[in-house]
Amino acid sequence: MERDQRIGAALAAATCSLLGISSPAPSIAAEPDSKWDVDSAFLFYGESDSRVQDLSLAASAVRDFGDEHRLALEGTIDSLTGASPNGAMATAGAQTFTSPSARGAYSTLPGQVPLDSTFHDMRTALNASWSQPFARLYSVSAGLGFSNEFDYTHIGGNLAMTRDFNERNTTLSIAAAYANDSVKPVGGLHTPLSLMADSVNRDDEEGGTGGSKKKNVLDLLFGVTQVLGRHGVLRVNYSYSDETGYLTDPYKILSVVDPVTGDLVSRTPPPGAEGPLGLYRYESRPDTRRKQALYAELRQDFSGKVLQLAYRYAKDDWQVDSQTLEARLHLPWGESNYFEPHVRYYKQTAASFYRYSLADTIPLPEFASADARLAALDTYTVGLKFAHTMADGSEWSARLELYDQKAKAPVQNLIGNQVGNTKMPDFNAVILQFGYHFKL
Amino acid sequence: MTARQVELTRGDDLWIARFHAMGGPCEVLVDTDQEPLARMLAVRAAECAWRIEHKFSRYRTDNIVARINCARGATVQVDEETAGLLDFADRMHRLSDGAFDITSGVLRRAWNFDGGTRVPTAAEVARLLPLVGWQKAQWVRPVLKLLPDMQIDLGGIGKEYAVDQAAQVLARISELPALVNFGGDLAVSRPRARDRPWRIGVEDVTQADRQRAVKLIDLHSGAIATSGDSHRFVTADGERLPHILDPRSGFPVRGAPRSITVAAPNCTNAGMLTTLAMLRGPGAEAFLEAEGVRHWIQR
Repeated sequence: MERDQRIGAALAAATCSLLGISSPAPSIAAEPDSKWDVDSAFLFYGESDSRVQDLSLAASAVRDFGDEHRLALEGTIDSLTGASPNGAMATAGAQTFTSPSARGAYSTLPGQVPLDSTFHDMRTALNASWSQPFARLYSVSAGLGFSNEFDYTHIGGNLAMTRDFNERNTTLSIAAAYANDSVKPVGGLHTPLSLMADSVNRDDEEGGTGGSKKKNVLDLLFGVTQVLGRHGVLRVNYSYSDETGYLTDPYKILSVVDPVTGDLVSRTPPPGAEGPLGLYRYESRPDTRRKQALYAELRQDFSGKVLQLAYRYAKDDWQVDSQTLEARLHLPWGESNYFEPHVRYYKQTAASFYRYSLADTIPLPEFASADARLAALDTYTVGLKFAHTMADGSEWSARLELYDQKAKAPVQNLIGNQVGNTKMPDFNAVILQFGYHFKL
Repeated sequence: MTARQVELTRGDDLWIARFHAMGGPCEVLVDTDQEPLARMLAVRAAECAWRIEHKFSRYRTDNIVARINCARGATVQVDEETAGLLDFADRMHRLSDGAFDITSGVLRRAWNFDGGTRVPTAAEVARLLPLVGWQKAQWVRPVLKLLPDMQIDLGGIGKEYAVDQAAQVLARISELPALVNFGGDLAVSRPRARDRPWRIGVEDVTQADRQRAVKLIDLHSGAIATSGDSHRFVTADGERLPHILDPRSGFPVRGAPRSITVAAPNCTNAGMLTTLAMLRGPGAEAFLEAEGVRHWIQR
C-alpha cells in the first residue's frame, strides 16, 4: 500500500469480474440537499379558573454547514392574558386593590384568592447560536439571546465547550451564560414594603417612583456525559447560578394583618378617592440569589424503547430547596409513529422570607413576599406525546400535559384566625402543543 | 441460530422486510404497496444471504471454507463461485501490497477485541505470523493449496458480496426498486421513480448520544458500505486500538478512523475501499480523496 497510484480502476474491474457484470450503474449518493432543519410549534397553556393563558408560536431552524458547523436560530412569540394572584390573602369580605398602572381599581369577591386580572403581555424572543468543532476532540458554541416584554427586556450571551475523552465515550462540558435584564414595571417602581396607595386619575402621574431596574444573571455549568455500554447514556450536571439586582416582583403585595387575630387591617380611602379598603404592602426580596443544582439523567435503550429517568436537586440562599423526579418513555408504534408518556414530580421548600401575610408591627422585616411560587410547593405533571413521521421525512406531533400545583404556607407563618383557614392560589393547567418538523 | 423468518412491516409508501443473517439484522425495502410482491422479493434476498452465509461462514464445519481450513496442506479443488471470490481476494492482496489478506484470521487467536485491555506480546504475535500471508498459498484456479495450519476467512468480503448478489437477483426478477441492507452495507437494485432517493442514516459513532445523531445520505443508485465498529476494540495504555489488523505486522493499524463510509457502484467495491482506507490508518482521508469517491469519515 506504499505506492501512491490509484487503484480504483483495477478494483472496479476485479469487482465486475467477481459479480459477473460488464459495466455497473454509477453510484449516485449525496447528502440531502435540505440545509435547514425546522421545528415549529403552536402551544396553548391554560390555567384553571381563567387564570393565565398563554398562546405561543415558536420556530427554530438549524443550518448544517457540514463538518458539524451549525447555525441555530430561534424565535418565539407569546401572548399572555388572564389573571394572576397578587399575593394578598383571601378574606371573608370583598377586597379592592389599586391596579398596577395606578389608574384604576379592581375588586375580588369574598372568600376568593385575590387575582389581578389586568395582566396581559406580549413576549417576543430571538436566539442565535453557532457551534463547531475545535481541534480534534473539542467542540465550541456561542450564542446570543434577546427577549422583550412590555415591562421586561432581556439580553444574554452564552459560551460552551465540550471535550471528548475515552474514545469519545465520555464527554465533559463546561458552559457559561450571562444575562443583563431590565425591568420597567407598569405604574413605576414601588419602594419595598411601601403601602399600596389610592389610584390616581391624571394620566401623567404614576403611583410608584418610576424608572427601571437592572438584574444580572450568571450561570455556570459543568457536565459529564458517559456512554454506558451499547444502550445507555448517563449525564450528570452541576450548575451554579448567581442573580444580582432587582429580583422583586413589582406587582406582588402582602396583606397587612392584625398581629393577634391575623385579620386584614382595614383602611378607608379619603373622600372621592378610589383605593384599597385594606392595608397592603409591596413585597421586598433580597437583591442577590445564589443557586446550586445537581442533575442526573439516565437514558437506556431497550431495543427501540427508550427510558429516560432524571433527578434534580437544587438549593439556594433563599432557602428554597427543590427536588425534581422525572420519567419519560419513548415507545415506537409501527414504522412511523411513537408515543411518549411523561411524568414529573417537583417539590420545594418555602423561601426564608415567604409569608402568608405581614403582621402590622414595627419594625418591618427587611424582606417579605407572599408570592405562592416562593411557598412550599408540590407540583405534578403527566403528559403524553404522539408523533407521526411522514413519507417525506417530516414529523407531526401532538402533546398534551396536565399540571397541578399545590402550595403550602408554613404553619409558623400563620397568625391567629389564619390557622386552618389559609387559602393558597392553587391551580391546575393544561398544556397542548402541536409541532411540525421539516427540512427546507 | 435465529429462525429463518422474514417479517414484513408497512412503511409509508413501501414495505420493509426484516430478517437475521450474517450475524446481524438485515433489511430489504421494496418500493411497492403490494405486500405479496414485497414478500416474494424479500424472501429471495434473504435466501441469497442465507445461502452465502452457509457456504462461506468460517463457523461451520460442512462448507467449502471448512474444507479448505482443514486440508492440512493438501490441495482443495473449489467450485466456480468460490474460485471467483479467491481470484478477487488474490487481486486485492496484490493491489494492497499485502495489506488485505484473507489468511489473517489466525491472528484472532492472539487478539480479542472485546473492549478489554489484553494486548498480546510481540512474541505471541510472531508465533502466528508464519501462518499469515496469501503469498504463501498456491492458488491456481480452481485448485488451492495452503500451508498446513493456514486458514482463510472470507468474512472481509462475504457480506458486501451477498448484498450485491441479492440486489442483482432482485433487479433480474423484478421491475420494482428495492434497497438491500445487510447490517449497514447496502445496494440499490434499481433507481426509484421520479428520481426519488433512498434515504440512509449512518450511525454517528462520535457522539455519546447515538440515539439521535445520524448522518443522512440520499442514495439514488449504486451502493454504500461502512467499515468500523465502535464497539470492537482493545485498549492499550489508554489508546484505543481498532479491530483492523495489519497482516504484515500482526498488530492493529494505528491512527485509523472510527468509521468510514464509501459510496461506489456496487457494495463489494465500496466495502473494499473502506477496508483499504482503514488499513491506511492516518492516511485514510488522503487515500479516499485520491480515489475520488464519495466518502464520509468519522474520527
